[in-house]
Amino acid sequence: MENNTSEILRVSHLKKYFPVPAGMLHAVDDISFAIDNGKTLGVVGESGCGKSTMGRAILRLHEPTSGEVYFQGKDVLSLDKKGMKELRRDMQIVFQDPYASLNPRMTVSEAIAAPLLVQKIYNRKNKADIEKRVKEIMNMVGLANRLINTYPHELDGGRRQRIGIARALALNPKFIVCDEPVSALDVSIQAQILNLMADLQEDLGLTYLFITHDLSVVKYVSDDILVMYLGQMVEKAPSDKLFKKPMHPYTQALLSAIPIPDPDLPMNRITMKGELSSPINPGIGCRFAKRCPYAADSCSQQEMVLTEEEPGHFVTCQRVQRGEI
Amino acid sequence: MEENSTPKEVVQEKKQRSLWDEAWRRFKKNKTAMAGLVYLSILVIVAITTTVIDWVTKNQVYKNYIIKQDLLHRLKGPSAQHIFGQDEFGRDIFLRMLWGTRYSLFMGALAIIFALIIGGFLGALSGYYGKRVDAIIMRCMDILLAIPSMLLATAIVAALGTSLVNVLIAIGIAYIPTFARTVRASVLTVKDRDFIEAARAIGCDDSEIIFKYIVMNALAPIIVQATLGLAGAILSIAGLSFLGLGIQPPTPEWGAMLSNARTYIRDAWHVTVMPGLGIMLTILSLNLMGDGLRDALDPKLKN
Amino acid sequence: MSELLLEIKDLSIIYSTEDGLVKALNNASLQLHKGESLGLVGETGAGKTTLARGIMRLIPNPPGKIVGGEIFYEGKDLLKLKDKDMRKLRGQQISMIFQDPMTSLNPVMTAGDQIREVILAHNPGMSKKEGRKQAEDMLEMVGINASRYDNYPHQFSGGMKQRVVIAIALACNPSLLIADEPTTALDVTIQAQVLEMIHDLKEKNNTAMLLITHDLGVVAQNCDSVAIIYAGEIVEYGTLRQVYKKILHPYTEGLFGSVPSLDTTSKRLNAIDGMMPDPTQLPKGCKFADRCKYAEKRCQERNPELIELADGHKVRCIRYEHEGR
Repeated sequence: MENNTSEILRVSHLKKYFPVPAGMLHAVDDISFAIDNGKTLGVVGESGCGKSTMGRAILRLHEPTSGEVYFQGKDVLSLDKKGMKELRRDMQIVFQDPYASLNPRMTVSEAIAAPLLVQKIYNRKNKADIEKRVKEIMNMVGLANRLINTYPHELDGGRRQRIGIARALALNPKFIVCDEPVSALDVSIQAQILNLMADLQEDLGLTYLFITHDLSVVKYVSDDILVMYLGQMVEKAPSDKLFKKPMHPYTQALLSAIPIPDPDLPMNRITMKGELSSPINPGIGCRFAKRCPYAADSCSQQEMVLTEEEPGHFVTCQRVQRGEI
Repeated sequence: MEENSTPKEVVQEKKQRSLWDEAWRRFKKNKTAMAGLVYLSILVIVAITTTVIDWVTKNQVYKNYIIKQDLLHRLKGPSAQHIFGQDEFGRDIFLRMLWGTRYSLFMGALAIIFALIIGGFLGALSGYYGKRVDAIIMRCMDILLAIPSMLLATAIVAALGTSLVNVLIAIGIAYIPTFARTVRASVLTVKDRDFIEAARAIGCDDSEIIFKYIVMNALAPIIVQATLGLAGAILSIAGLSFLGLGIQPPTPEWGAMLSNARTYIRDAWHVTVMPGLGIMLTILSLNLMGDGLRDALDPKLKN
Repeated sequence: MSELLLEIKDLSIIYSTEDGLVKALNNASLQLHKGESLGLVGETGAGKTTLARGIMRLIPNPPGKIVGGEIFYEGKDLLKLKDKDMRKLRGQQISMIFQDPMTSLNPVMTAGDQIREVILAHNPGMSKKEGRKQAEDMLEMVGINASRYDNYPHQFSGGMKQRVVIAIALACNPSLLIADEPTTALDVTIQAQVLEMIHDLKEKNNTAMLLITHDLGVVAQNCDSVAIIYAGEIVEYGTLRQVYKKILHPYTEGLFGSVPSLDTTSKRLNAIDGMMPDPTQLPKGCKFADRCKYAEKRCQERNPELIELADGHKVRCIRYEHEGR
């Protein structure tokens, strides 16, 4: 019997660079974290900060440039093809766009059965058993059995996303990378899917890496939150701590930008200067410095280090580390 | 609530149709394309029937009617007995055209299938793996493409000698680059979609991804290309035969018939017009059908 | 309350599609005063964009058609206006910002020239040089350096492009701005900047705004009144405070319940079950009855009217009909 709070995934110094004509694009730059079994780590950041690339690099859908990924103690990056295929039973992914992530030529049952057949859990000829299992999974994610032979294009976004979740669940994984699973959905459907994912986590003891740009969603789903900016992690803390006391100026600006649906709570925005700079050949130092209201000269000259300022609360801001802000 | 959900469910059931069903529904609405399809279906039936007749009668019909000469009635115009008239050897043009259907149709189809398999395979490799594989394959295709297809086919037949198989190979080779390019382009548009990544995440290997996910989704443009390519191939076969490099007389191939008849064009119009019309209508039907297929299958599927 | 600028009365718009007749908008009535901001909140397919396009008379016909109602703009019925006069009004007095800044700019024309084009079109006789100067002023106003006048759209980032779009929309100093999800495609921090900018410009020019969005937070921070739209019908309509502080309609309640709140620790959202009815098969009774937790039998039988309560707060729900004045 495994200990309930044991660590399931450890990522250290993960890097993913893409060569582009202008140089080297540092999509993911030196990210380290660990997730405990049954917990959710939320990853937030704005578009282009490398959060999706990181999720895919962990699953080796993009081969990482360097770093280490340990899943249940196993070194993921050293596995061969066969070992990796086996590991995929335990590690799955749910995509953002339920329109693009389903094969338009496959019916609901074919899409859900595909992982079972690919992993040879069922024999192709054993139609009755496959159908039974497919229906079981469909029930689990709240898809009516009558939809079993429909094609994705006949269904709405919410149902398609349920298929995407069903496909990920088919192999009984332990860990799921959720790459913006609700961003493309309407508010009321988003709530349904978030509830479903919370229920599944509880019932099946799943561990999530939940990637999103929506801070209210990330607060709602996560135990811990990692904030990314231009490929680097800037802050990591337990969810409530991060929202109560954001330390990094970027996190502060991000939190202040959330429009709150209450007319009595006027926003107290910290406006940032400018926009995201380029992650191509970024050089050393804090990548947020160019937009940071507290930036000092030293910020762009020293290499960033992640330090634990309070128990469980990590931050890379040098000025915070020096106690200046 | 319950009462209300029943009619909705019925709607759901009724709407269950695959993308192919929907394409067919759209295709049916296109009248010209349907006309093309009907005409081609008739040709296919004729081609099969004549082949069966030859097989059952051990070529007796062929010997007694199709290549049997009747020199007394050479170049006679259309009549009740010979509705398309008679050719320079007094043979019935209508029957000869019926018998000739299979050469154009089947050989065209074989040539296209040949081109499709090889070209498709090369295109899929090229699109999926990219980089160096892509560069090598596509440059070879460019070289082939630089030579006009008719000229290339002529050269191949000239080099290999005239025979049915050689004509087929020649035309097939000439069409390989077209298919390689079409398949490569469709693979490129499909391969970066999320569902390919999803397939990789469940552990599919490259060949499964290429054939089950990519090719299945790239089929639409390939089908369209194949239909239009068939028209070109039929024309090429007729063209080669016309030049005397393809099917040899007295085999009743349309292009060969046209070629033989052209000497008499001043004396008897029907000898050239009939096979010419046959070729033209077939090509037209294939093109109409190809256009219809493109409209029915191409993007804007749903969403 | 200041002068009435726009009054929409019982506007109905249909689309005829392959699958049948879509009643996209049914008897919508709205009022907008000079300088006021009205938020129109609804989900995909609710008819928000149809309403906006209806006001601009930009419904593509076929398949769309305005089948009933009146739109009064400063007392003139827009639906009776000649095409030529309508064109003059569009842009000169009513401007529209579309959701996607990437596709609403002309890629082969510099950003500055696109602004100048609008200025020149509405100021016949103005010289090109003068037009350029005004366009440069507009760029500065939306926070873009005038030196970027000669840059092409692809040289701008997403947020910058949306600023250019806004500059174009405001170039002729309109009295009504229709903004259709102006910030949905943008990151939160950029969204905050853009909304703040729109707000400032509006104040300066006393522009009225119809802000279309699915984000209740954006409305709370930017609007004076709110209309909630569901399945082509306005279901709740009132001042910001009325709607946010005294929620009447069950759908509005569901929408608020669906947004993960930043200060609760609950692990479940109060999601709305089900989904919006098929627009080709709208139910006879209340459109929301199927998903409503308060639904009674009579809700299925008859569609309730939009009734006005004593304080001017309007709601379309059978439970309040006896309270109407």
